[in-house]
Amino acid sequence: MSVIAYAQIQATTRALYSQMLSPGVWTTLIQAPDLDAVLGELSKTVYGAYLQLDRRLLTPRRIVYQGKRYLADRYTKLMRLAPEAAANLIRLLWRSYEVDNLKAILRGIETGATWEQILFLLSPIPAHAALALADLEMMVQSGAVIRAIERLKNTDYYDTLSHALERYQREQNLFPLEVALDLAYYRELWQCIQALPPRDRDYALRTVGVSLMADNLLWALRYRIYHKLSGEEIINYTLALNPRITDADIRAIAGGEQPGEVIARIFPEVASQVPGDLVAGTQGLRQLELILQRYVVKLCRGVFVGDPFQIGIPLAYLQLMEHEIRDLTTLIEAKASQLPPSVFTAQLELYVPFERQDSVGASRTLE
Amino acid sequence: MYQARMMRKVELVVPETDVIAVTEALAASGAFHLATSEFMGDESVLNADGKWHTWVTTFASLERRIMAIIEALETDVGDPPELAHLIEPEVAQRDIEHLEQEIQTPLHELETAQRRLTQLERYLTQLEPLRDLDIDLGTLRKLRYTYAMLGMIPAANVERLRASLEHIPFALTTLRHDDHLAAVALFGLQRDAQILDRAARSAYLNPLTPPETYRGTPAAAITAMQAGIERTRQHIAEGKSALAHLQELHIRRVRHLLWRVRASRRLVETILQYGRLRYTYLISGWTPVSKVDLLKQQLGGASQNISIEVTAPKWETAPHSAEGAAESEEIPVVMENPPLIRAFQGLITTYGCPRYGELDPASIVALTFPLIFGIMFGDVGHGILLGLAGLFLAHQKRIRALRSFANMGVIVALCGLSATVFGFLYGSVFGFEDVLEPLLLRPLEDIMDILLLSVGMGVALLNVGMIYNMINNALAKHWGRVLFDRNGLAGIVFYWSLLGIAANMFIADFPISIVALEVTTFLSGAVVTFATLLERLLEGKRPLVEDWGTYLMEAFFELFETVIGLLSNTLSYVRMGAFAVAHGALSLVVFIIANIVSPGHSLSYWLVVILGNLFVIGFEGMIVGIQTLRLEYYEFFGKFFAGGGRRYHPLSLIPGQQRKP
Repeated sequence: MSVIAYAQIQATTRALYSQMLSPGVWTTLIQAPDLDAVLGELSKTVYGAYLQLDRRLLTPRRIVYQGKRYLADRYTKLMRLAPEAAANLIRLLWRSYEVDNLKAILRGIETGATWEQILFLLSPIPAHAALALADLEMMVQSGAVIRAIERLKNTDYYDTLSHALERYQREQNLFPLEVALDLAYYRELWQCIQALPPRDRDYALRTVGVSLMADNLLWALRYRIYHKLSGEEIINYTLALNPRITDADIRAIAGGEQPGEVIARIFPEVASQVPGDLVAGTQGLRQLELILQRYVVKLCRGVFVGDPFQIGIPLAYLQLMEHEIRDLTTLIEAKASQLPPSVFTAQLELYVPFERQDSVGASRTLE
Repeated sequence: MYQARMMRKVELVVPETDVIAVTEALAASGAFHLATSEFMGDESVLNADGKWHTWVTTFASLERRIMAIIEALETDVGDPPELAHLIEPEVAQRDIEHLEQEIQTPLHELETAQRRLTQLERYLTQLEPLRDLDIDLGTLRKLRYTYAMLGMIPAANVERLRASLEHIPFALTTLRHDDHLAAVALFGLQRDAQILDRAARSAYLNPLTPPETYRGTPAAAITAMQAGIERTRQHIAEGKSALAHLQELHIRRVRHLLWRVRASRRLVETILQYGRLRYTYLISGWTPVSKVDLLKQQLGGASQNISIEVTAPKWETAPHSAEGAAESEEIPVVMENPPLIRAFQGLITTYGCPRYGELDPASIVALTFPLIFGIMFGDVGHGILLGLAGLFLAHQKRIRALRSFANMGVIVALCGLSATVFGFLYGSVFGFEDVLEPLLLRPLEDIMDILLLSVGMGVALLNVGMIYNMINNALAKHWGRVLFDRNGLAGIVFYWSLLGIAANMFIADFPISIVALEVTTFLSGAVVTFATLLERLLEGKRPLVEDWGTYLMEAFFELFETVIGLLSNTLSYVRMGAFAVAHGALSLVVFIIANIVSPGHSLSYWLVVILGNLFVIGFEGMIVGIQTLRLEYYEFFGKFFAGGGRRYHPLSLIPGQQRKP
């Protein structure tokens, strides 16, 4: 049954996977002297069709937006080919961009930005999105967070935001709204993974699940290190992702236990790479984030080996594409700011250039 | 009716000072189809278009603000006016600000009252489970050793809250559970108040804190709240009444302003499409010949310094020159037909727009479409019901969503009429075939006859298509194609020769000898094979052939393709007979099922018959419609219809306005 269900999608995904940027292209992009050279190189790749705009319009922000349009089209394509349960999960994965759009809209309203200023900060909105561009525009036009939320009345977001509105009005801060959105979304994502058939659930946990666990762990660390929240708050602002991450682990982080020891229990595969100075400053946490993201990349690439007829292949491809877009964003912004490669290549998640001597290895995309 | 209207190319040179008036005049005339200017101007001049770009953005923003006002007044945009003039952005902005100020206060008060109502209703919902508790709410506010909080929490957060408080003594009870929210009571020790507060807040437990004015037991507070809700509802009704009054006062002004802003935006967007020199604008477009004088008159009134040049398209003098052919794709086409035939224009344009100079096939489709449909769907009762449904769709005006289906209603009505006529020919009424005597045949009994009749119809229609092709080529003065093309005269002779050979095999004493037919087949086939060469010879084009080897190979395969195509196109029409038989068979099945359900022909028998007939009308009607469309598009249009034309859309500043050509 899974052969029939996944035959076409896995073949299509492999074809798309082969179109991801190669190490050679990455090297060229990194060594490009300026943004125009980057654009020239990207126009020879699958992103080329999405960059057929007047050069004056291709600001760094717009280039990233166009790249996300390519990603959105891949999502739509795979959604159409996937069996129902897998299609629902893929649709839900895309919704993280919708949640980000909502957060951007709320921030824009709060800061008094115009629609034109916000528009290209948003992620593209495909046909299957719950919120159309016109809906978001009307939210901005409403001029106030409360009225903007009222416009979401017939959507899944309304209940969450309307309940969190009371805290927003008390604290005059968007934090409760944003956290409420994130928690509701990731909880739904976790439940969707748990509801998959056993074999698909196993593969989904290996890819999306690990990414979700990594994010959960990073939230807990950020709340402790940056926001200095209490243990109870950290537990309420994170998820129980049993059995790998339990409340005991979260409580241990919140309670002051050395994060490295907690991470060694949860992700023993990367334990040796965890920096010792995680709690000392911001660099340690960013480094941990990179280590975990590269670990996820490695897991995603591993899914392509073995049984082809499973949900893991399209999920892994989409995860890898998101990493590719993030790396392109880093590169484009660095080129626009004229930063040398030595500064920004350390931030790349998917591609590790030859010059870097680290535990991951020589010039290649992570395997 | 059979051919699009003659058009003239209009080129204008307009001074900068008159460009707005001229654009308004072009739109007011309803007779000008704007073409992309071949000369846009140099970059330095184009960059000076900053003002227009700014105006477009400004008008877009103003339009959104007006829409927000319209939404606040709970009304709609109204019907578009015939004409609207430019309004300066600053003037529009002032008007909008004035309107926004007027509605702001009552709107704000209404929103506040609505929020208060929601809040009170929420308090009420939260207090309801506690109605029977004989405890003063004031006491809960002043506990000394115990911490207590009542409130609403997302149901999904309850267990997280419980987990977060595991390290201290507490009690968490769910009082009530809806889809999304749960009413809970949280108890603990006052010494742990800070921990409990932090945990509750981070779990989004919104405390129930009814205002101090609500005192006493929960039952007393509930009664007071209900009174408060009534008062708030009255405030809301008053607020809505105030807004309704504002709506009455301002609605005409708001709608007028909206359409002016929309028209202004369209006007500026139109100006941005013009070519530009330093002080002048270059405008290029098309207008029907009959409207040239009207256009000149309108333009003369708008500007004294305008230069107007009107020329005939190159296509009319040299239709098959490269320039003429390229231009024919640009010239917009005015499809002008009487009302009954106009309904079929949509079917044509779905396939493609006729090119300028091509015959408009709407009139022939208006005949053949209902005819083919009727052959496949012949039944008096079904036809009458379909016809009535079509008439309803065509003339009803009450249901807004169905207004756009008026043309389809005409098509359905005509198809229903044709089906009724063929119902009499087949002797079928609602599937009953023993009520009427057939005037022609019964499809279920005379299957071969209906199939042969269908093939005959197909041959006739294919010939009509070929004749249309010859006329189109004659209009384009492409005499070579008229004579030698596979859908031209040679093609018709070839087709009839092949048919004659086929008929000779089945009909004894066929009047034309097989030898004569073979000779005509050979000769006409040779002409069709070498059609391109002969066309070039006739038109004096040299060289005749670039590469003889390639040409001969292609010619041979094209002949093969022509023969296969003719055969498949002809046989394709057999489906008409097949569907006529299927229609009868489906009706038969309905009666078989009805007899099984009720052999005694009681009420259930008739129920099955009625429902079965409705199913046949709906389901088979849809399938037959699709098959008819297929025969028209693929078999018939394939013979002559080039398409690729451009529909005539006269410039209008009112979005959504459709002008009669």
